[in-house]
Amino acid sequence: MPKPFHMTLLTVAMLAASVGMAQTITFWHTYSTGSGEEQTMLEEVIPRFEAENPGITVEATAFPYQEFRQKLLTAFAGGVVPDLVRMDIIWVPEFADMGALEQLDEYDGFAQLQSSVFPGILATNFWDGHYYGLPLDTNTQVFLYNSDAIDEPPATFDEFVTFVQEASDPTEEVFGYSLPGPYAWYFLPWIWSNGGAVTDPDITVASGYLNSPATVEAVEMLVGLYDEGFLAPTIAGSGLGSWEGLGSGQYVATQDGPWAYPSITSQYPDMNFAHAPFPAGDGGSISVVGGEDIVMFSDSDDKEAAWKFTQFLLSPWAQMTMAPTGQIPVIKEALQDPYIQEHPFYGIYLEQLQTAKPRTPHPEWPRIEGIIQTAFQRVVAGDASAQEAFDRAAAEVDALLK
Amino acid sequence: MSPWRKGEYVVAALFLAPGLIWFWTFALYPLLYAFWMSLHEWRIRGTSEFIGLANYARVFQDPVNLIALRNTVVYALISIPGQMILGLAIALLLAKATRGKVVLRLIYYLPVICSWVVVSLIFMFLFNSEGLINRFFGESLGWVDPNTAWLNDAATALPVIALLGIWKGVGWVMIIYLAALQGVPKELTEAARIDGASGFQVARFVTIPLLAPATLFILVLLTIGAFQSFIQFYIMTGGGPFHSTEVFLSYMYNQAFNFLDFGYASAIAWVLAGLILLISVIQFRFIRQTYSY
Repeated sequence: MPKPFHMTLLTVAMLAASVGMAQTITFWHTYSTGSGEEQTMLEEVIPRFEAENPGITVEATAFPYQEFRQKLLTAFAGGVVPDLVRMDIIWVPEFADMGALEQLDEYDGFAQLQSSVFPGILATNFWDGHYYGLPLDTNTQVFLYNSDAIDEPPATFDEFVTFVQEASDPTEEVFGYSLPGPYAWYFLPWIWSNGGAVTDPDITVASGYLNSPATVEAVEMLVGLYDEGFLAPTIAGSGLGSWEGLGSGQYVATQDGPWAYPSITSQYPDMNFAHAPFPAGDGGSISVVGGEDIVMFSDSDDKEAAWKFTQFLLSPWAQMTMAPTGQIPVIKEALQDPYIQEHPFYGIYLEQLQTAKPRTPHPEWPRIEGIIQTAFQRVVAGDASAQEAFDRAAAEVDALLK
Repeated sequence: MSPWRKGEYVVAALFLAPGLIWFWTFALYPLLYAFWMSLHEWRIRGTSEFIGLANYARVFQDPVNLIALRNTVVYALISIPGQMILGLAIALLLAKATRGKVVLRLIYYLPVICSWVVVSLIFMFLFNSEGLINRFFGESLGWVDPNTAWLNDAATALPVIALLGIWKGVGWVMIIYLAALQGVPKELTEAARIDGASGFQVARFVTIPLLAPATLFILVLLTIGAFQSFIQFYIMTGGGPFHSTEVFLSYMYNQAFNFLDFGYASAIAWVLAGLILLISVIQFRFIRQTYSY
């Protein structure tokens, strides 16, 4: 055989080997580009993973949250998907149900990760008997208030009503409280804290839960306070935003997640505001779990490398490196970490997370959410009583759960 | 033998091909494909179940579609006459204007070329409960409650969106009428003048009747436009609160892209297309009979 041919063979073999070795995993996320989230991910977390795993490159792409679900759906419909996605916990059942996600519970090391994370947020990855992802970061909402105006935040629903009435000054357009918008994410904590619910625990029926006296009473309390002029027009989706209202002194208290603090303090550096758990009703002090899960698409052609990166993101080092950017860790170990223990407000979020509930983990959630928000808006607009609106919503959700 | 030789067919085909290929790929094919989808319980991947006309049955049973129809009709009844009357008035005045014609025409036409997204956002700022409208008409003049949440109340949201529709569309109506006015023979208006008709009488009995074909054209296109309005609704209210400003396309969009119910969304689109066709045919018939000259 002439020499050049050997050379060619060798070159081809080497090329093939190098192609086989260099693996690239694509990772889509919604880390905010303005805060330190994306920067820390790109400059600290990914470089360290690549250094520890030679031959694997992580290509991370940021998307705005509002476009992300559609972007993912389009990618899935077109068959060109990323390997890993950091997605809103509430989308996982829907994507799992479509067959888009890789079932992770039989991967090596899954059991270990499963036992290391908080069970509440882990549950958002469970659909139809299997786990389709792992939690990556978590959050919830707490009660936020102007600490120059309030000495002691209200601890119960009764105290809350008294506080709102006293703190408001309708003639000066000062509102005691701002529910930031007519969305499930904001009003569900009030329904749950009052002992209400969206469905039964097994998610088979809404009637008797979504229209229960406890649910209706919570809605009536909020809308009643709004009708009397004590709650900001944000409850109807109008007026100054809750952050601007709090910062300008027009609203005395509101509710939001851990991202509110850096934004409000940077816009209103002179304002003093503080965090407290939600006021407790008959059901306790119960907020809503938010956060993101990391999922692998079943079309991924580099599952091994993608799984390695998933495990890395759940390592204590990666979790604690992301923590200062506002990404609350999901591993139980973090509770003992001095950074978390000394943080001015993570303690309250973590305390609230002990009882926080997830929004209904069901593939039909987007529709269910639309129905309950419509019901709430009808009550706010005075178009129907809380009982009428939620009776109708319960019947509609029942039809979806069948 | 045909008047055309073979070579001429080839040349003609070559000239037609780009347009036809474009039309088949981006209009006809999606149209037919949407019909195919509307007969299925559509899944974005995997096998979709054929369910016949069930999605169409849903369109007619879903109460939200009735709300969308009502809202569309109200929107059309406010915004179309508004655009046509104002557009005609401006065109008649501008046709007479001796100075500043170009500048005025540009000013009236500006909203037409602005993006719907931009003008919708402007209107949202104006009509927010903290917005300029409440500041001026509420706090300064006391004509309205300064806390009115215009876009969050079913009774005010639709008229506000229709107002935006009028403002945005007037310039287009004006341009069409200005063009049509060029076609009105001078002899007729001059003859009327000599017979002693006032300016208003000339407009009422000579000019406007002669503009009838343009009026029909504008009416049909504005009606189609009103039935297809989407961006302003989607941005300003998202169809809310509680579907009170829902129109066909905002509802269709939500069904398709939020709930992934592409089969149902396609059925809504086809029913809407049928409705628009029906209305256009009726308008052509009716107006041809009324204004024949």
